[in-house]
Amino acid sequence: MSGRSRDHAALLRAAACELVDIGVTIHEVSTHATTALTESAAPGAVVRAPAVAYRAERALLRAVTNVQGLGYAFTGGPLGSLAARLGVLGGAESLTVRVLATSLRLRIAAAAVEHPELRDDPMLTRLVEAAAADRDLEAVRALRALFKDRGAVRTLSTLAPIFGEVLALRALLDENPFNDEAAWLIATGRGFASADPITGLGNRAVAVLDTGEGAARRVDLATVESVRLSQRGSLLGFLRNIGLLGTTGRVLIQSVEDDEGTTRHVVQAPGMRVGLPDDNSPQDLLGAFSSAVLDSSPYSRALIRAVEDYGVPRGEELALIGHSAGGAAVMNLVQDAAFCARHTVTHVVSVGAPIDFKRPADPRVRVASVTNQHDIIPTLDGQGAGTCFDLHPDWYVIDYFDPTHLFPRCHSMEHYIANLADDLPEARERIDAELAPYRGRVVRSQAYQLFDRAPRPEGFPFLTVPTYLAETRDGSVELPVRCQDGGSLTAYFAADPAATAALLVSTGLGPAVRVGGRALVAVHASWNRRTSLGEYHEAHLGVVVPDPWRSRSIRVWPDLPRGADRRRSGSFLAGSVVDTAVVRAVAPRLWGGEPYVMPVEFDLTGGAVRVTVGELTDRVLTLTGSLGPWVPASDRDLVAYARHEGATLRSCVRTRGLGRVHLAPRVRLVVGRSANPLTGRLRELGLDGARPLLCLSTITRRTLQEACVPVRTV
Amino acid sequence: MPSSPDKPDAPQRIAARVELLRSDVRRLADCAERLRRIEAELEEGGAAPPWLRESVRAHLDACAVAAADLTEAEARLSRYAERLGG
Repeated sequence: MSGRSRDHAALLRAAACELVDIGVTIHEVSTHATTALTESAAPGAVVRAPAVAYRAERALLRAVTNVQGLGYAFTGGPLGSLAARLGVLGGAESLTVRVLATSLRLRIAAAAVEHPELRDDPMLTRLVEAAAADRDLEAVRALRALFKDRGAVRTLSTLAPIFGEVLALRALLDENPFNDEAAWLIATGRGFASADPITGLGNRAVAVLDTGEGAARRVDLATVESVRLSQRGSLLGFLRNIGLLGTTGRVLIQSVEDDEGTTRHVVQAPGMRVGLPDDNSPQDLLGAFSSAVLDSSPYSRALIRAVEDYGVPRGEELALIGHSAGGAAVMNLVQDAAFCARHTVTHVVSVGAPIDFKRPADPRVRVASVTNQHDIIPTLDGQGAGTCFDLHPDWYVIDYFDPTHLFPRCHSMEHYIANLADDLPEARERIDAELAPYRGRVVRSQAYQLFDRAPRPEGFPFLTVPTYLAETRDGSVELPVRCQDGGSLTAYFAADPAATAALLVSTGLGPAVRVGGRALVAVHASWNRRTSLGEYHEAHLGVVVPDPWRSRSIRVWPDLPRGADRRRSGSFLAGSVVDTAVVRAVAPRLWGGEPYVMPVEFDLTGGAVRVTVGELTDRVLTLTGSLGPWVPASDRDLVAYARHEGATLRSCVRTRGLGRVHLAPRVRLVVGRSANPLTGRLRELGLDGARPLLCLSTITRRTLQEACVPVRTV
Repeated sequence: MPSSPDKPDAPQRIAARVELLRSDVRRLADCAERLRRIEAELEEGGAAPPWLRESVRAHLDACAVAAADLTEAEARLSRYAERLGG
């Protein structure tokens, strides 16, 4: 941009600012005239001089309604406000509004000097002209044409530098009296736009939907994230950390140590989390909104809890860095006098955030704000690139633009980092110089997951149980095993009775439950996605046996659906496979016996199942096919018996989840060519190519698995 | 909350309103002067948008009419205050 253009833009902004002052003066004049009108009309006085009073009233009424003078200028007091709203509904305007509209048009003209695309674009010009001339239909048509021609994203990106001005212009001149206050605040720069400038729906009315005292829980970063964390303090390092966290509902606190051994702390807060408008994360859409419009929000309260948990010692210095909603949230922290009394906040760096109307409780706090003029998010408080007000002469404000006009790309953390790294070296160096005390070695990093309100313990109350450490040959593990999320399939087959009888010899169990003269055998597979042992898969082959001490087969059928605490029947485990060494090590404690370790795949989607055990070249079994029609049923507990070192062991898996019973599954089990003994056992049972009689499936469930218990069956 | 003019101090209160209106007439004249200066500065700097002159002219006319309206109202209100006081 040339120096001449810069001078023109500065002249236009100065003129716009002075026009605001003139508009405010005319507003005060209108208020005085309205007050004189309402005061002089009191009946007690009027009856004492009715003719003179009438003439005075008539002159005042003319002064506040003359369209060629002050316009429809009722304002102030209950009667004045009511009359003003009725006037707006009827399309009446005041001189104040007309002067403020001129100021907004000058602001748009100033932005157009710096952004020639605004001036040279006939569609945008048409929109601005229609808005300025109060031609509603024409404005709507112009906007629709823009959306149709450019799409919503490009339209918003193009409009971003004058977004607040165009909305305020429309709101000032339209016939909706409820958005006038928001328009007034944008036009005069006297506060955060208090309502949606289109509908007039109050921001605070929307923001109060976002409730919660805020909560923070420590979380470990994934290894791939931890190794990429910045190990020295710098502006780009902190911003890269924020980009690394992404919009996952997490924040990061780091401690840095300078050469003199002084430790300082840096809070790093990302922006809005993509997803539901209001989930339990304060970084959701509503959270972003309330952080911007309120002084305290669940996001800022959760941040306070994270800082308290981190344990920043009193007196040690703290810098707050935030992007987007995170920028607004950290500004809320620094506005909080109580927080600032507990902690010495020295610096705030806000990137791409609407913070124009936030003020630090301690004026000594150094604030730096970086915004891209095509990023629409910082303009949500009504003041964007076109603003003519120097709201923060004591802040370091970088309001820049680059050739990338597309929102949301220009709002992304990565884009701001690239701009600061490559295009804004002076700004980066200036902020880095400000942050000099924080440019030491990182000595501690802790991430936090934030919540609107304290989250329930996962799996509560089913998985809220006492735990203890159990020794295995690979170290100690925590029992019982708690699975927060898993899926399973149990397929029941009719197997060779002689082969099953051979498996049960000397176990004290059996005979196997019979179906039509054949033995009932179960193949069970599950994918335990989130457990206290990590993620793992397992597969088991079991012979269904009745109560070891009352082994009449007929009694087994009503016993099978019972909960584990009442069930006597179960599956005698004839072979198990798991896919992690940890589970293999703990298996003797969980169900007895030694499982094989090999890959297990489990896929239960779209009414079909695919289970494979063993690698392609070492396949034990494949169970695939459509599960067919189903009826709902609660997931069944699992009870198993196993033999280990001469003893019979009983184990239970208690489950919670919605299951399905598939009465006519079109699934087939194919035994592979692996040398694993399980392959031979499956063949002996006659299961190669067999179809199950019945399948039970669960897409998602929780499970609790205690250690097995020895029982005397022999 | 302002007291009502049917109270004993009504003449004084209305007289105060008269003073305020008189001062507002001067403020409107000042606004008109500032509007003229804004236009002149933008024209001189070559930054004036093509629509500005018409807008400023309309605002100046409105300020003049408003000042006349307020002067009339101030005179009528002043007479009213005198009648109540008398």
